[in-house]
Amino acid sequence: MAINHEVLDKILLPYPDKVKKNRIKHIVRKNPEEGCQQIEANTRTIPGIISQRGCCYAGCKGVVVGPIKDMITITHGPVGCGYYSWGTRRNKARADENTPPEQIYGAMCFITDMQEPDIVFGGEKKLAKMIDEVVEIFHPRAINICATCPIGLIGDDLGAVAKAASERHKIQVLSYNCEGYKGVSQSAGHHIANNMLLEHVIGTGDAKSEPEKYVINILGEYNIGGDSWEIERILHDIGYTIQGVLTGDSSYEEIKNIHIANLNLVMCHRSINYIAEMMEEKYGTPWLKVNFIGVEATKKSLRDLAQVTGDETFIRKTEEVIAREDSVVLPVLEQYRKICAGKIAFAFVGGSRSHHYQHLLRDLGMEVVVAGYEFAHRDDYEGRQVIPTIKLDADTKNIPELDIKPDPERYQEAHVHLNLSKEKYDEICSRIPLGYYEGMYPDMKSGNLMIDDCNHYEAEILVKRLKPDLFFAGVRDKYIAQKMGIPAKQLHSYDYSGPYAGFTGAMNFARDVAHAMTTPAWRLITPPWEKETKEPGDNNA
Amino acid sequence: MVPDPHPLHEVNENQCQVCMPLGGVMALKGIADSMVLVHGSQGCSTYMRLSMVEHFNEPVDIASSSLNEKQTIYGGEENFRKGLDNIIRVYRPKVIGVVTTCLTETMGEDTGRMIGTYLADRSLHGIDIIPISTPSYSGTQSEGFWTAVRDLIVYYTTTVSPHEGVNIIVAQISPADTREIKRIARLMGVMITLVPDISMTLDRPYGILYEKIPPGGTRREDIAGMGGAKATIQFGYCCPDPLSPGKYLEEEYGVPLYNIPLPTGLMNMDRFIRALVSITKKPVPQSIMLERGWLCDAMADAHKCLAEIRPAVYGDPELVYAVSSLCVENGAIPALVATGTTSSRFSREILSLTQDGERQPEILEQADFSGIGATAAQKGVNLAIGHSGGKVLTERHGIPLVRAGYPVHDRLGGQRILTLGYTGTLSLLDTISNTYLEEKYRTYRQLRRTEFYDRGGVIHAET
Repeated sequence: MAINHEVLDKILLPYPDKVKKNRIKHIVRKNPEEGCQQIEANTRTIPGIISQRGCCYAGCKGVVVGPIKDMITITHGPVGCGYYSWGTRRNKARADENTPPEQIYGAMCFITDMQEPDIVFGGEKKLAKMIDEVVEIFHPRAINICATCPIGLIGDDLGAVAKAASERHKIQVLSYNCEGYKGVSQSAGHHIANNMLLEHVIGTGDAKSEPEKYVINILGEYNIGGDSWEIERILHDIGYTIQGVLTGDSSYEEIKNIHIANLNLVMCHRSINYIAEMMEEKYGTPWLKVNFIGVEATKKSLRDLAQVTGDETFIRKTEEVIAREDSVVLPVLEQYRKICAGKIAFAFVGGSRSHHYQHLLRDLGMEVVVAGYEFAHRDDYEGRQVIPTIKLDADTKNIPELDIKPDPERYQEAHVHLNLSKEKYDEICSRIPLGYYEGMYPDMKSGNLMIDDCNHYEAEILVKRLKPDLFFAGVRDKYIAQKMGIPAKQLHSYDYSGPYAGFTGAMNFARDVAHAMTTPAWRLITPPWEKETKEPGDNNA
Repeated sequence: MVPDPHPLHEVNENQCQVCMPLGGVMALKGIADSMVLVHGSQGCSTYMRLSMVEHFNEPVDIASSSLNEKQTIYGGEENFRKGLDNIIRVYRPKVIGVVTTCLTETMGEDTGRMIGTYLADRSLHGIDIIPISTPSYSGTQSEGFWTAVRDLIVYYTTTVSPHEGVNIIVAQISPADTREIKRIARLMGVMITLVPDISMTLDRPYGILYEKIPPGGTRREDIAGMGGAKATIQFGYCCPDPLSPGKYLEEEYGVPLYNIPLPTGLMNMDRFIRALVSITKKPVPQSIMLERGWLCDAMADAHKCLAEIRPAVYGDPELVYAVSSLCVENGAIPALVATGTTSSRFSREILSLTQDGERQPEILEQADFSGIGATAAQKGVNLAIGHSGGKVLTERHGIPLVRAGYPVHDRLGGQRILTLGYTGTLSLLDTISNTYLEEKYRTYRQLRRTEFYDRGGVIHAET
């Protein structure tokens, strides 16, 4: 069924008028004749609507700083928040020459488990004692302290506790005032975490740049199900040196030295663009938006990267690796295309994935007809050119913007970072958009829907009306679709599968998606004694 | 010297408990036509949905008042009212439970007053909005659950004329367990009001119309009549009196209370049946006697294997007590019994299970898995029973785990785990035996080789 006004009206029907007025701005049906249409995003969630969004703490602890493998992250608060964010994101980490296994804490969960007296009399002493014990038992290289809601209200001075602990133990102790109520979603937490890492960790290492190597960082890649390992495999084969991945399988030791990179690659624009931007201001490091989800997208990203190096060896090696991988991957995908081609899907995930995965689904001949982000900003939909026009609201203004000055010793102009002449750099910039992200909009087909902060109810109506063949979302929304007989795939933690990135990942993903759609069970839902004209799932729809 | 298994006092490393509002939500999900509003930051409802969805494999709708920084200063009433407006428009519930969070409790939000004002302004009919106070720093999921059940009962019950029905107030059990209790009551021919009834709401079968609020749950009319019941059977053996819903019914309406353990294990299930018999004077049907007979037969089959097991049991106090009792009656004396919460009754009741024996379990309250793991290793635990948080015991200490309780996030079918009744006990018993046997078969030959061949016949099984 086509997406028409009838569907949209049906969605908005039960809402009170004010809510209707609000939600209609978050829903855009692409019509190229209207230019790039504006979508409302990153505004307050409507109370009482079952939003997919999480909180500031989730963005800071759960997404950005939690995965740093050799740091202990302490959740300061009552038991819930720490428990709920324990291991749910499947950030994989492994020991290596710099980080022995006993210094990897990713699978553990540390909380201060505040009780009523701590709320009444303050939790600073408890926190300080906990830091002492954690240092005594685990000897971590550094510690994060993440605040939960009540902390801001009772006025525990995390900064002071962190500073004192840092002096006592001679290791860095970072505190994040990422109380859940800050900002409007996870996005605020990303920003707080980005600020802290840039201000206090990045650039504190004393590694020197290595002129004989081409050093890159991958920002906004969290190694869910091993994604980053697959991306690193490909990049290593081409000959790049990877200094740091933020923050999938990353270590504090590596992050301290990511300033030595020639170039930053940005995967998840939403969660990490602040660091990319601030490193550009502080060190002059240019950044390139990449997407390693999807075979064609991966190839384009690799080729863009090779062009940016301006180095014939990388350009040639890139083609060799692509040819090698293509020969393995394409025949496999071709098999799955037979199952997937022509199918339609919804994607409601994250702040970049709903865009990234459209490329991979296109490789399989599938089309995303409804896509939306949970916590993205307008630039993630419409492209970074809209940033100057975004009016900052009070919630966003409450997150400090750092005043970044060029580092007097380390700042170098972009072309110097890239080992290019100014002319060559300008020429490359005219072809490859450095420091730019075009957003999801250009990749959506005319007539298809973008929905920001889609909620449980809206998703249900859309599934009923449009009957997609596959539903991609987080686990919270997965079962609405499945209850209506439509296979659903979790794209936050991949239903314990992965990697889905790069070339190997595309094959894994194609296999999982094909399995989801071809399970014989879907055809058996309607009992044989009932009318044979019924479609699977009609009972529930 | 035996090392102190709890050298830490502040570090809570790998928790054994979930937060108080989640227990409240769990109880409210067993009320017919209900919705829940979590008054706090939206992360709370999103996290709770994540946790519950992964366990029940069902859509779980939990609304939030989505407080932002501004409301933490000026109060959250406006958001609270908007939240209620939207829930009512979109979901059309008859009951809305409002649970609080550490944020709104610290702010000092008076949800009772806010609900009163809201209802007066909106002149709504047929919708009940019930405040439930669940500050997560004052308890765990267990306390949240009992608080919500008690508050619901306090809200609805009125003085009614006596009737033949029996109240059954359950602890946090699975939908499959809930169905089992209802089945047994049907076989016994007893009319029951079961609170909370999650048998359908958190385990919807295919073939019924998908609706935003799932069918099933305890009807509010039925709760209203609980004060006239012949008796209350409550599976709240460790529940403290101030939180006990059955205690309230007894004190307020004079409904006799049978506060008994969850009917897991032969003795506990016998207590349940005996309570039903003594309340209703009905005979035990032959079909239930057969089920009991099959369980006894299974216990005889498994006794040698079970006697070798030194289990660690952890989780919600009710489940832990009942499962420990099952273990004790089968000769598998627990080496370690732990709960993430604390209760005046817990240790006492656990100790009374084993007081006649030579071996006493180590008991941990407010435990975390770092403490449970250390003690388990020291006590030679060879099997653990509890929720999926205990997977760290397998990963770190190689202890096989039988999953039961909440949450089960790393295996399918948490909602279908049946541990109650003679039948549920039997299936749990078999799972325990077979999990142990699987480990034994996997390691037996190597261990014997080490003992008798590598060590030249010196028997050193325990090292």
